[in-house]
Amino acid sequence: MKRKCQDYESRLPDNTAMKQQQLPAFRLQLSANEILSGFFAIGLFCLGMGIILLLSAKSIREVEINYTAKCATCAKLREDATNFDKECNCSISFYLPQKMEGNVYLYYKLYGFYQNLYRYILSRSNIQLVGTDVKDVRNCAPFKTSDNGLPIAPCGAIANSMFNDTIVLLYNFNSSTHIRVPMVRTETAWWTDKYVKFQNPTFQNLSSAFAGTAKPPNWPKPVYELDEKDPGNNGFVNDDFIVWMRTAAFPNFKKLYRRLHRIGNFTEGLPAGSYSFIINYNFPVGRFQGQKAVVLSTLTWSGGSSLFLALAYLVTGAVTLLASFSMMAVHLKLKERKTFFLQ
Amino acid sequence: MLFLFQDNRIHTSKYSILTFLPINLFEQFQRVANAYFLFLLILQLIPEISSLTWFTTIVPLVLVVTMTAVKDATDDYHSTHLPPSNILYHGVCFLYFTGIVVCEAPNNKLDKFTGVLSWNGSKHSLNNEKIILRGCVLRNTSWCFGMVIFAGPDTKLMQNSGKTKFKRTSIDRLMNTLVLWIFGFLICLGTILAIGNSIWENQVGDQFRTFLFWNEREKNSVFSGFLTFWSYIIILNTVVPISLYVSVEVIRLGHSYFINWDRKMYYSRKATPAEARTTTLNEELGQIEYVFSDKTGTLTQNIMTFKKCSINGRIYGKRNLFFLLLALCHTVMSEENSAGELIYQVQSPDEGALVTAAKNLGFIFKSRTPETITIEELGTLVTYQLLAFLDFNNFRKRMSVIVRNPEGQIKLYSKGADTILFERLHPSNEDLLTLTSDHLSEFAGEGLRTLAIAYRDLDDKYFREWHKMLEDANTTTDERDERIAGLYEEIERDLMLLGATAVEDKLQDGVIETVTSLSLANIKIWVLTGDKQETAINIGYACNMLTDDMNDVFIIAHALESDVKNDLLELACMCKTVVCCRVTPLQKAQVVELVKKYRNAVTLAIGDGANDVSMIKSAHIGVGISGQEGLQAVLASDYSFAQFRYLQRLLLVHGRWSYVRMCKFLCYFFYKNFAFTLVHFWFGFFCGFSAQTVYDQWFITLFNIVYTSLPVLAMGIFDQDVSDQNSMDYPQLYKPGQLNLLFNKHEFFICMAHALFFIPYGAFHNMAGEDGRHTADYQSFAVTTATSLVIVVSVQIALDTSYWTVINHVFIWGSIATYFSILFTMHSNGIFGIFPNQFPFVGNARHSLTQKCIWLVILLTTVASVMPVVAFRFLKVDLFPTLSDQVCCCSADGYLRG
Repeated sequence: MKRKCQDYESRLPDNTAMKQQQLPAFRLQLSANEILSGFFAIGLFCLGMGIILLLSAKSIREVEINYTAKCATCAKLREDATNFDKECNCSISFYLPQKMEGNVYLYYKLYGFYQNLYRYILSRSNIQLVGTDVKDVRNCAPFKTSDNGLPIAPCGAIANSMFNDTIVLLYNFNSSTHIRVPMVRTETAWWTDKYVKFQNPTFQNLSSAFAGTAKPPNWPKPVYELDEKDPGNNGFVNDDFIVWMRTAAFPNFKKLYRRLHRIGNFTEGLPAGSYSFIINYNFPVGRFQGQKAVVLSTLTWSGGSSLFLALAYLVTGAVTLLASFSMMAVHLKLKERKTFFLQ
Repeated sequence: MLFLFQDNRIHTSKYSILTFLPINLFEQFQRVANAYFLFLLILQLIPEISSLTWFTTIVPLVLVVTMTAVKDATDDYHSTHLPPSNILYHGVCFLYFTGIVVCEAPNNKLDKFTGVLSWNGSKHSLNNEKIILRGCVLRNTSWCFGMVIFAGPDTKLMQNSGKTKFKRTSIDRLMNTLVLWIFGFLICLGTILAIGNSIWENQVGDQFRTFLFWNEREKNSVFSGFLTFWSYIIILNTVVPISLYVSVEVIRLGHSYFINWDRKMYYSRKATPAEARTTTLNEELGQIEYVFSDKTGTLTQNIMTFKKCSINGRIYGKRNLFFLLLALCHTVMSEENSAGELIYQVQSPDEGALVTAAKNLGFIFKSRTPETITIEELGTLVTYQLLAFLDFNNFRKRMSVIVRNPEGQIKLYSKGADTILFERLHPSNEDLLTLTSDHLSEFAGEGLRTLAIAYRDLDDKYFREWHKMLEDANTTTDERDERIAGLYEEIERDLMLLGATAVEDKLQDGVIETVTSLSLANIKIWVLTGDKQETAINIGYACNMLTDDMNDVFIIAHALESDVKNDLLELACMCKTVVCCRVTPLQKAQVVELVKKYRNAVTLAIGDGANDVSMIKSAHIGVGISGQEGLQAVLASDYSFAQFRYLQRLLLVHGRWSYVRMCKFLCYFFYKNFAFTLVHFWFGFFCGFSAQTVYDQWFITLFNIVYTSLPVLAMGIFDQDVSDQNSMDYPQLYKPGQLNLLFNKHEFFICMAHALFFIPYGAFHNMAGEDGRHTADYQSFAVTTATSLVIVVSVQIALDTSYWTVINHVFIWGSIATYFSILFTMHSNGIFGIFPNQFPFVGNARHSLTQKCIWLVILLTTVASVMPVVAFRFLKVDLFPTLSDQVCCCSADGYLRG
């Protein structure tokens, strides 16, 4: 009999909260008031955020000059790949009606350049770029090796298609005095890119480190000659190179080229007046029907111009508020009806 | 015929240690879903097509296959190891045995056996009574001699066990159709993108490639489109996530455990917990429209008490004979326990009640041997010689014994269904018959189960001739049953009516409440019983199924085979309650099949006896009552418990929860994968349709199995939209499941998934970081969209989860935390230093996620993705409130349930 009792007990399921589905729990049941006030709050927040973003977007001074058509002669020259060794400079003047206060950034912008193609993004070797093995060109098809069989450094399609125009900004103080606006290239690339992701191979001499490799076919000079004056900017750790290697998400993109060095006349930023860009035109966009532009821009607390974000916030806020009003209307109306029914 | 006989080992387990891996893998890849993923994996190995690295598919696939394998292995390990052998036994012992047994081939008929034993030149017939089946327990004796006839898989028990057909739920079917539709959708997307690719290659790509010096060979844009199609099939395959099926299985398993663990379905008097014997049907319990119930033992307790009798038309002169018959004509076994009390082992509680009644009135059945029955007749011990035993079955509906009493007279005692027995009476019984019939209707009207009893005096010579014919018949193998049945018919005639008995079978506790509650839940209950019409109707009234204001009581008689089947069904379905009486087991199954076929409704059959097995097997869900009448019903069932009243909790609480949870789970699961995948589709338009993925490969690998699997599993297992008490109190809450209403909201969800691409896209167009550095790069975009996605789907699951237990908290917050920690780990300098090619996103999280504008994008994406769903639900609750909404409102004004 005793054994039987034990049997009985052992078959009785345990009385635990878990097994009896009685775990203490918070029931998520929001009341109409809570939801409506949530909607109002979110609507107002979005609207407010939209206004703030809009105002800050408006406070940004931005000049964009598309020089695809403006440098027609140079563009024409570059159509033909055999002219690669011919220099072509192009000057574009513009007038800055208002001064650009604070930090000013110079970007180059490309239209219709697909840095996000699947095979393009793949075509690089991080092992090579981090300096461990300059001859690792595994993923770099179709730019693995040069015609004479040497591994290309830096290999791959991204590196090969690097943007190579040089842009100089002149401040036309008056018709005869042109001051070159001081620009720095430091801190244009991400810190991790500059110091972790891209490393030169450790050799006393950079050119010997790259011995046995070939330059990318499109490049006029090898990677160890990118900036011979500054070893911290030469080889793989060249800022322009690093910036280019961080591929853009969409076919129209801008990349940081230089920052204004705020000294002398430019301590406050860029004063209003007449300027001109002197562009050493190398990058042939005509061949893929792309366009290129230079952009001068100031920043605000949230970074660059975020007009889209501002508008999107405004629209979302407005729609949310509208929705909350209509929801409230429906709710109040139906509440009356309900109470009526209950009586 | 020659058979390869089996040894006595039973391999209920499918695998051995060595064969497990190959067999299991082979089985798994036979499943369409797994084969499909294998196909994808192979596609990915083709470099021209591959758009994802191999690990994005192989990691989830291996995980899913491993999980399934572990489940199969544990299932296999736990499968029962039963005792072996069918044994032939007889009261005589054969010490030196040199005979031959000729018998039927192994089959699954438990109540039938034919064979002949040739020994010492004489033939002995073998029938069902001379056989002990595997699984039987030896009683009343401490030992017996026997001979093994079939062993191992040939035994009747094993032959019976494999026959159950695989049941699938309607959600399963819906899910499969949905998956097919999604495949269609996937192919559409692939085609659109492939066409896009052809056009793009033609217009832009050619020039762009030449510009890039990509002049390998002239590429055909149509061919490139073709390759792109396959690449996109690989990328977009996440709309049908690999983990779907395994997650569904896990959830169902959890629900089954909850059923097994439920103390409120535990019957303490028999120490029987409820048991989910099938783990794949739970959500179907939330969609039942028809319940087919057996009566005896299911609605009633099957504890019989002898209530009334009609003896010789109330002339008590033959009273002694009446009770003597009751004490003689039965299959009861007696046993004396240690205290010297008689314990009766009964096969049918009716018999027990009758024998006990006879005992109480002075005719005590003491013991039996195969040849004798000993009875204490009003104080004196009398031994009757048992000459023949004409057993009971569902077709004969009667049983008889032929005995020789101490005075040497041969008598046949018979008891059985009144209609059957009345046909076999001697013409001189006419007056008595009318009188007894009146009494019988009176008894039935009180809901009592009735039996008629009769006897016949047999002539010595006549009996001997008959007995010889019976023995002859027994030893033949062909048409033996028919010949024996004919012989039984022959001797069971010209009976003298003795009277009728009435036995009461009380209703189980809580039957009335359960029936009322299930009716409120719009579940139609049909009672199928072999009883008389009056008994059945009376039970109907007793259970509250029939009330006085119903004037149409509808009873099925013999209409099942005929052409009126459809009319019958139409009519029956209009009725609130249907009571079918005088139905055979086969007809029970036919009724169920009829409703299944023509009503397209989900059916549940509940019963306790062997005669309910066919019905239990043919219904969508079979429930066995583990009660008095043995285990057959339970073995055939999908769920079993001890009392009918637990059906209410099984359906209204467990079934409803399972259904609601499963619907919520599937809605959310498809939503999350659409949100995940559609981003790729839109991105295609901006990356030259080059099959570039938006996310990091690692994110694609881990999204479904690590970042988002546990919260939705927790919801699928633990969620409670209303409490169990509310489900029981408001049976109407059950209705949405019957109408299959809950699994149709996903379309709306999916529309909302586009914000996930377009807001980051717009924002990235002219974006620069706070320090002027560009942040509109591909990797930042990947991180932004991925983070938005994880946050959006987490917020969505947080809103969908209506019952936040600790587990939900841990899983939801844990998933987000896991996402961020894995993200930062993968983007860390250290891991890049070790595997530069595998983790190229170094420093990305650090740079992107410290930008205010990125967080503004994520925030806006979340708001734009979630708010419409909330607004939609709010308006739905307001405009078309369902009962469950109202139930929630009564308690806490709930507007936000999945």
